[in-house]
Amino acid sequence: MEKSLFGFIWKYSSRQQIFILMVTVLTYPVVYILLELPKLIVNDAVQGDNFPRTILGIDFDQVPYLILLCFSFLSLVVVSNGLKFYLNVYKGRLGERMLRRLRFELFQRVLRFRLPHFRKVSSGEIIPMITSEVEDVGGYIGEAFALPAYQGGMLVVQIGFIFMQDPLLGLAAISSYPIQGYVIPLLQRKVVLLSRQRVRNIRVIADKVGESITGVAEIHANDAAAWHSADISDRLYENFKIRYDIFNRKFLIKFLNNFMNQLTPFFFYLIGGYLVIEGNLSIGALLAVIAAYKDLAGPWKELLSFYQMTADVSVKYQTVVENFDPLDIYDQERLTSDDTVDLSGDVKLESVNFAGGAAGQEVVDISMTVPAGSACAIVGPDGSGRSEVLQLAAGLVAPVSGKVCIGNHDLDKLTDSTLGRQIAYVGGAVHVWTGTIRDNLYYGLRHRPLVPPQREGESLKNYNRRLSEAKETRNPTYDLAAEWDDFEAAGVGNEDELDTKALELLETVKIDKDIYRLGLQSRFDPSMDDDFADKILNVRKALAERIADEPDLGGLVELWHRDRFNASASLADNLFFAVPADPEITMDQVPDLEQVKTFLADTGFDKKLQQIGLKIAETMLELFSNVSGDSGLLGAYSFITLDEIPDFERIVRIAKSDQPRPGLTDADRSRLTGLAFKLVPARHRLGVMSDELKRDIISARQTFLDEVVKNSDNFVAFEPDVYLPPLTIEDNLLFGRARVDRRDARRRIDDVIRTIVEETGLRRAIIYAGFGYHVGVSGSRLSAGQRRKIALVRGLLKNAKITILDDIATGVTEEDRTLRKGLRQILSGKTFLFGTSDADIAAEFDQRFILDQGRLSE
Amino acid sequence: MTLETEVEALRKVPLFRGIDETKLRLLAFISDRTEYPSGERLCSQGEEGDCAFIILSGAADVLVETPEGEKKVAQVSENSIVGEIAILCDVPRTATLVAANDMDVLTVSKDDFLKLLKEFPDISLEVMRTLALRLERTTRDLADARRGAAGG
Repeated sequence: MEKSLFGFIWKYSSRQQIFILMVTVLTYPVVYILLELPKLIVNDAVQGDNFPRTILGIDFDQVPYLILLCFSFLSLVVVSNGLKFYLNVYKGRLGERMLRRLRFELFQRVLRFRLPHFRKVSSGEIIPMITSEVEDVGGYIGEAFALPAYQGGMLVVQIGFIFMQDPLLGLAAISSYPIQGYVIPLLQRKVVLLSRQRVRNIRVIADKVGESITGVAEIHANDAAAWHSADISDRLYENFKIRYDIFNRKFLIKFLNNFMNQLTPFFFYLIGGYLVIEGNLSIGALLAVIAAYKDLAGPWKELLSFYQMTADVSVKYQTVVENFDPLDIYDQERLTSDDTVDLSGDVKLESVNFAGGAAGQEVVDISMTVPAGSACAIVGPDGSGRSEVLQLAAGLVAPVSGKVCIGNHDLDKLTDSTLGRQIAYVGGAVHVWTGTIRDNLYYGLRHRPLVPPQREGESLKNYNRRLSEAKETRNPTYDLAAEWDDFEAAGVGNEDELDTKALELLETVKIDKDIYRLGLQSRFDPSMDDDFADKILNVRKALAERIADEPDLGGLVELWHRDRFNASASLADNLFFAVPADPEITMDQVPDLEQVKTFLADTGFDKKLQQIGLKIAETMLELFSNVSGDSGLLGAYSFITLDEIPDFERIVRIAKSDQPRPGLTDADRSRLTGLAFKLVPARHRLGVMSDELKRDIISARQTFLDEVVKNSDNFVAFEPDVYLPPLTIEDNLLFGRARVDRRDARRRIDDVIRTIVEETGLRRAIIYAGFGYHVGVSGSRLSAGQRRKIALVRGLLKNAKITILDDIATGVTEEDRTLRKGLRQILSGKTFLFGTSDADIAAEFDQRFILDQGRLSE
Repeated sequence: MTLETEVEALRKVPLFRGIDETKLRLLAFISDRTEYPSGERLCSQGEEGDCAFIILSGAADVLVETPEGEKKVAQVSENSIVGEIAILCDVPRTATLVAANDMDVLTVSKDDFLKLLKEFPDISLEVMRTLALRLERTTRDLADARRGAAGG
């Protein structure tokens, strides 16, 4: 990579820079004439005589001559500003393109680092390098040549102008430049060193913050917050010190500069004044010189700050780029090549040595052969070199000496397009990507875009623009919206078959139950799959029939009934008999919805609900005001959280007082209504529900359904024959609520639902719905075990010729034993390397290699 | 079906007799109100107990396992508390409870009760006093029984 910023800029944007320069040069005459014209207007048009003047063969009298000159001035102002505008946009665009190129290049270089290199760098340091640190470079690139050329040219033009008026004045104008030219770089050099230090220090801070976030549980578990606080605070002080030094020097430079600049007019007035008095200079010329000098200060200042910026940005560029140029970086080919060679044959390690493993241990002189199509265990405790040997066999790391071959291909000479497609490797530390379960399962099949999407009209235009920009900045042109799943590689014909295959594998690794549960909890859009919604509705019907037939079961649920109050559901559900179409809307936000507000006011329910809310708030305050927040009682049972207590105390106090002021605000009223909405009468026996109120609710419900739900998309009514998208699949299966006042009602009804779901064959569809479950950041919403199983299925779905598992499914439980048997069965006929630390588990395999302290032992 | 009726019932339970009203209301609020139709089991002998039952209405048969099968040994009815030992210490249920007719029961879970004790030590004191009285009575009964046995 280009070591210097100017090298980088010139290499990738020389053409554009020259173009910018040319346009800039074009502006010089315009600027010069702009300077010259006012003098002409004053001296010649206003004060001149001997008219008319002849221009292009036309005679002009004094006033038309003045008008002509003034309009030429106006048009030049327009031209010069237009050119400036055009240039600025052009430069901005160039800067952004170059920044994109640089950032992408840096990211690609990160991908090209060899794995052991990542032990030396941390993401906390690399992320700010790619994102914020190079940001300034983008703004700078457009200016890199143009600004010094433009402002420098401007300076030369104006100095030239002054010199033409009077050489002595010219000398006076530039008298301070040599001093500034000497002192300022001296000061700047120190600033550059400080900026370097600052960048490094900030990186360390970023890294430490990142580490604190990753290890936050450890911090709390060890009460180490003080230590980390002190550590960060120390670094921040360091940063302050450096910055303070930088400021001091930066402003000293500015001070010197301003001082020098304002010293010069002193010479003007002295020398110029003298010259005018002596009659050697016209007063008009002196005024023009002073005006020109004022304009001189602008470019000079710009040049100086450009100089400072150049120093600053170059440092940033270098401090970033030097981190992305390790000696042993992979060729770009390794990432970008799309050629696959056939990796069939024995896995052979020939006197392989490797150093720099996780704990610094080495692998010494290993020679082994795993025949193609056989299953083999690699046994050895952690630190024995087992993981390293398996990573060597997967081509993830390269041997220091010796050769790792599959068939007659040396893995070190192959690209990711072969290694990553023909070898499935699942190591002990799996990573699950932020996204859905489906994304994670099919991750191993997404190597290149395969079927581009159909585009036309506007979207085609947008796509073409995206494509040309990518080419402009040497970014890849892979289409993110294309179909990436490689069905052929997985050995299936289409998406349905792939889903089926994934399901089989999920069953093998015993995670299907978990995904089924996630599927029940997920929401799904019935417009995507009518059939599935219909099936769910059928289950709902079957369930309702069974409930009607079995009184025992009927006692456990309260089904939705338009004319009945459901004591196990919240007041809001009862009143609206509908749910907000947007599942993100919480019960606290519902009272603020415009339609709800009008409805409540029209039916008089606003007052009633506020009364109920007030009663609840009062009771909660009475019951929980003496309860400490950490006892858990408040969180589990109260309607009000600890933080809200003071607020509700205020609300209750105001509501109870007779004075009309201050009175409750609308927000207070909404909060009370929100409390009332959350009331589940069967659970919260606060004595606020009377039979009359229930009747009122049911009749108001009808109004709401007729007036709001029918006319708006914001609410979805409870209808026995309609799938309710805002609710989870589980809540859609049961058209009602499990009774809260019956013991274990939820569990018992769930059992019934499960049997019906299985009888109707809906289980599979619900599991597929679970594929859409979002796993959270890096799979944080899954357990560690689930993450490993998902990663395992991902590896198996690749259907690779060689499968390498390290420290996966190595339990001694019966479940894991069956799993291993299943794995061997699935992978029969393929090469299978299985890493474990347990000799008994290894005994299940026909073939074993035992590693001890980095050596193969017999 | 309000807190007030439940508090009334709780007040009649000796274990809670000395506890002031607001705390009883809190106890009632955090407890679950459950219905049991006739014949449903409240708990089974031998299983781990995690809650006490305060009977608000109806009655339950107390059954014990004998070699001849389950045998009814007693009946508990309104305003009595059963299974309260379970919320104070970890012992398996000593008997099975089956609803003799439709019951309305307040279920106090062990965790919540212990939290309440932690929160309000004066409740612990009251509970301790009640238990001590019971112990004293049991000891006296035992002594009487021994004396009776020795005399007889």
